[in-house]
Amino acid sequence: MRTVIADKRWAEKYPEVGTGPVLAEPLISQEHFELEREKIFRRTWLNIGRVEEIQNPGDYIAKDLTMCRASVLIIRGKDGEVRGFHNVCSHRGNKLVWDEKGTCKGTLTCGFHAWAYNTKGKLTWVPDEDNFFDLPKCDLGLTPIHTEVFEGFIFIHLAERPPESLREYLGGVADQLEGGGFGELALTARYKVDEHANWKIALDAQNELYHLPFQHRRTIPEFCVLKDGQFTRLLDVRLFNHHSVYSSDPHEGRVGPATEKLAAQFSVAETEHRLPRIGSFDFYTIFPNMALLLFRGVSHDFYMTYNFWPQAVDRTDWDIKIYFRPAENAGQRVGQEYFKCLLRDLLQEDATAHEQIHIGLASRAKKELYFQDEEMQIRYFHTVLERFYAEA
Amino acid sequence: MATQTLPAEFADLEPFIDWALATEPERTRKRLASSMEDIQAFYDCMSTRVEAAMAYLNAFSLDALPPEAGRLFHLSLSLMEVANAVEMFQNPSVIKGFDVKRFAPVEDV
Repeated sequence: MRTVIADKRWAEKYPEVGTGPVLAEPLISQEHFELEREKIFRRTWLNIGRVEEIQNPGDYIAKDLTMCRASVLIIRGKDGEVRGFHNVCSHRGNKLVWDEKGTCKGTLTCGFHAWAYNTKGKLTWVPDEDNFFDLPKCDLGLTPIHTEVFEGFIFIHLAERPPESLREYLGGVADQLEGGGFGELALTARYKVDEHANWKIALDAQNELYHLPFQHRRTIPEFCVLKDGQFTRLLDVRLFNHHSVYSSDPHEGRVGPATEKLAAQFSVAETEHRLPRIGSFDFYTIFPNMALLLFRGVSHDFYMTYNFWPQAVDRTDWDIKIYFRPAENAGQRVGQEYFKCLLRDLLQEDATAHEQIHIGLASRAKKELYFQDEEMQIRYFHTVLERFYAEA
Repeated sequence: MATQTLPAEFADLEPFIDWALATEPERTRKRLASSMEDIQAFYDCMSTRVEAAMAYLNAFSLDALPPEAGRLFHLSLSLMEVANAVEMFQNPSVIKGFDVKRFAPVEDV
């Protein structure tokens, strides 16, 4: 597949998304932040992690979701099932697990008064139980949270009854990624970025390539196809019910740095492993706060995930994870180190920019934002936001 | 003569042995604490030796590198760490980069 160097292809493909300016206010206002808390983060499937993080029975991960005013516990039961619960003890409401991850022999015990639960969330032990008054122990298990897994990605939904299954929610994204072999790669690096910026400013800034020749002029100016050697032209943009993907091919004639060439040479493996990519680079926005990035590697493709966790209207935890196929030798491992350091360094350029954009927008000097055709997917993300804001 | 810490055929890299660091945070700290002259000197020397280093190291199982080979491996990882400083930024840190204290690698992945 070759990228077509043409103008305004995406507005033509998706005329319903429109071409006019987009309001800036939702990116900075407390009011919209509260709307997002109620109408988005409690009403959509949220990615919490991957099944490899809880490989064995008794393994668990826990996460405080500030935006949802919830703490979530995901645990693999003795029966091998992945379950999600509110991470809250039934006695006095203490948070049951305080570490972000761990493993248990079959019982999780509250640190306050040692009430204990098994890996299916059942309350199994209450110290001094006889001294309580008609304790309905059978009803006092952990409160379950709807938890579903797609291709190893664990999602939760905080509504009492999710309006659709995870598979239905992911829709066309799931069609594209099904059977992708993500489990053959392993989490190799993770960065937690504490950003003084709105979560949507951070996500929007990642959700296009137009900025590459400019903001990343020192790092990856020629990462994708460029019109007249200057302006990015995407291979494809696809919009799904709530989500989107944009794809790119590499710029022909790009001269990479010397060490990149060495790293590529070291990364050669005897067998290939490919992910279900559209282009050589695909960027999925999985509404509301996840991105999935697929990269063509030399022999082995690799992928990243971003989870943007809002902490406040102007504060975001950006959780960055990089997954490579486990290295078979030192050369492949050194090759991975190069690409990891490159991604890390250029995302540091981005993180700085996210905060500067937040300061700029918070001034309210600009009421509207202007998106070009290569930024169609951001425009679409804002139409999805509007749709959720408007829900009853 | 100083103690030999690298495989004999890589003895020429001994002056850079401080760069043989096992973890990413250590390698990043070393990069940020070094002058551009020191980074350049390590880069110039290590770039010419890393292909030979990989040929040497690939003969071992990655999980069972002898200590001398392990140090050579860590020197190679440090080359990847400093490459951008030399090739992209001409500066130890990322130009207009983020506060690294708020961009933290999670070590226990």
